[in-house]
Amino acid sequence: MTFTSAHLVALLPIVVLGGAAIVVLLLAAFSPSRRVTTGATAIALAATLATLPIAARVIPLDVSPLIRIDGAALLYTGLLVACTLGVLGLSTAYLKGLGESVGELCILLVTAALGAAVLSASSHFASLFLGIELVSVSLFALLAYARDEKPNLEASLKYVILSGVSSAFLLFGIALVYTELGTLEFARIAELVPLESASSVYIAGGLGFVIAGIAFKMSLVPFHLWTPDVYQGAPAPITAFLATVSKGAVFVVLLRYFMLADAYAYRPLIVALSLLAGASMLLGNVLALLQNNVKRILAYSSIAHIGYLLVAFIAGGAVAIESASYYLAAYLASSIGAFGVVAILSSGVEGETQTLREYRGLYWRRPWLAAVFSLMLLSLAGIPLTMGFVAKFYVVAASIDASLWVLLALVIVGSGIGLFYYLRVLVTLYLEPDDVTPDGARAAAAPSGHVVLAVASVAVIWLGIFPAQLIDVVRALAFTNG
Amino acid sequence: MLANYLPILIFVIVAAGLGVVLLGIGFVLGRGQKDQEKLSAYECGFEAFEDTRNRFDVRYYLVAILFILFDLELAFFVPWAVSLDAVGLFGIGAMGVFLALLVVGFIYEWKKGALEWD
Repeated sequence: MTFTSAHLVALLPIVVLGGAAIVVLLLAAFSPSRRVTTGATAIALAATLATLPIAARVIPLDVSPLIRIDGAALLYTGLLVACTLGVLGLSTAYLKGLGESVGELCILLVTAALGAAVLSASSHFASLFLGIELVSVSLFALLAYARDEKPNLEASLKYVILSGVSSAFLLFGIALVYTELGTLEFARIAELVPLESASSVYIAGGLGFVIAGIAFKMSLVPFHLWTPDVYQGAPAPITAFLATVSKGAVFVVLLRYFMLADAYAYRPLIVALSLLAGASMLLGNVLALLQNNVKRILAYSSIAHIGYLLVAFIAGGAVAIESASYYLAAYLASSIGAFGVVAILSSGVEGETQTLREYRGLYWRRPWLAAVFSLMLLSLAGIPLTMGFVAKFYVVAASIDASLWVLLALVIVGSGIGLFYYLRVLVTLYLEPDDVTPDGARAAAAPSGHVVLAVASVAVIWLGIFPAQLIDVVRALAFTNG
Repeated sequence: MLANYLPILIFVIVAAGLGVVLLGIGFVLGRGQKDQEKLSAYECGFEAFEDTRNRFDVRYYLVAILFILFDLELAFFVPWAVSLDAVGLFGIGAMGVFLALLVVGFIYEWKKGALEWD
């Protein structure tokens, strides 16, 4: 393969992230200062964002069979790296409260972001698997970052074991697809599948296993059992990372597979995804009703949201990419904000601030945090003037376009149920504080965390009122595939 | 296509069968006197010191991980060296990047004290 300078330019975001991982690794080893390490990581992530317009000049380009840099790849890389930057901001104060060193967190966040970037540009099952493993293996250590906390260890252990099982499923599925087709490239699969008998056991079984593995990482019902426990046990900023970057990256690679391998033509896959999406919307929302822990409520709500996201995606066609991209952006911004409030309130607090009881009367103690939390909950519930509303509108429009009536009904029922538990949390924030409310445990000051919340809030409101600004970008980038 | 794998299936059946038959013959024909001593774990002629399931220092684990790392590096190196003519300059560059990454990781663990025994 000839490797020209255009290839290098297209790869620039991934190269910068890879280089950043090395620099941060050395800084973590040699520099004792927290500020230098976090500052360098933030600059590296920002530099990655800055390379995206440069890479945009040479797209679309196949850098190798593994990686295809196109507009969509750059768009999603940008979204996911921005989220990583947000998680970094939330983590600094949290770690200071814990008294843990910050270096390894920075390394692992960068490697996970690298995995997300690889997934966003993947065009081959090998890069899909490598990307997923980069994200997952980084998460194993991140989940147990506070080594002395039992819930951290529990969350990490559960994730390690179940993630390993799901990776095995994924690999077995990939192997089955390879036995039948003899290729792992998404684009080649698109050419070969119509030639082979569409009802081949190997293809159906292989793709079934792949979907099971991917559904596990996205925590779709019935592969969701780990989600609430891991979300609850993990350090709050890492929960934010798990809910946004980890889930988003896997969703993006699924989207890429469908686009490049033209999997919409393969009905069994669509039926399977529809079942998963329907079950996730219904069960995610119903189970969230029963929780009294804010992190668990948000965990179940994230299960339901991935269900909505899948509906937009199943609809297919041009509007599907547009609506799924917008929904993903809305979900990422709202989740970073919601988990961010939890992270800031939990900074330096023994056992974290996570039961609904501790949120009672938050407005009277921390009005700014309560306001941000309310905004994020409203956005997740899909109330007008937030990104969440436009996103949900898009999902409904896309499913009407594609005549997915059953899924549309489930979206509406799910949103109705969702409204109830979001409002339940919301009302709690504004109740009169009672004497059980813990006031002694003041969270550590977190200036960078507040900046992240402010940015997320502005994005949720601004892009909720003027969605066209984001949609134009999505249209310009996501359709360069040709 | 599956017919290509028939020799493997035969191999698996023969291997499993041989194992079962040999053990079975010993079990059926053997005149075992199963006393306490014979049933205990064989320990080179002396009594067993303790249970095997005890804890040991996490540092052994670190050393084992490091060993695997460099062992795998070797596994990459041998085919690379053999096919050096074929991979050319690109191959040398790629291996250089790989080695550089490995060295950076090595510096990190050294600096972090993973190689200190105390």
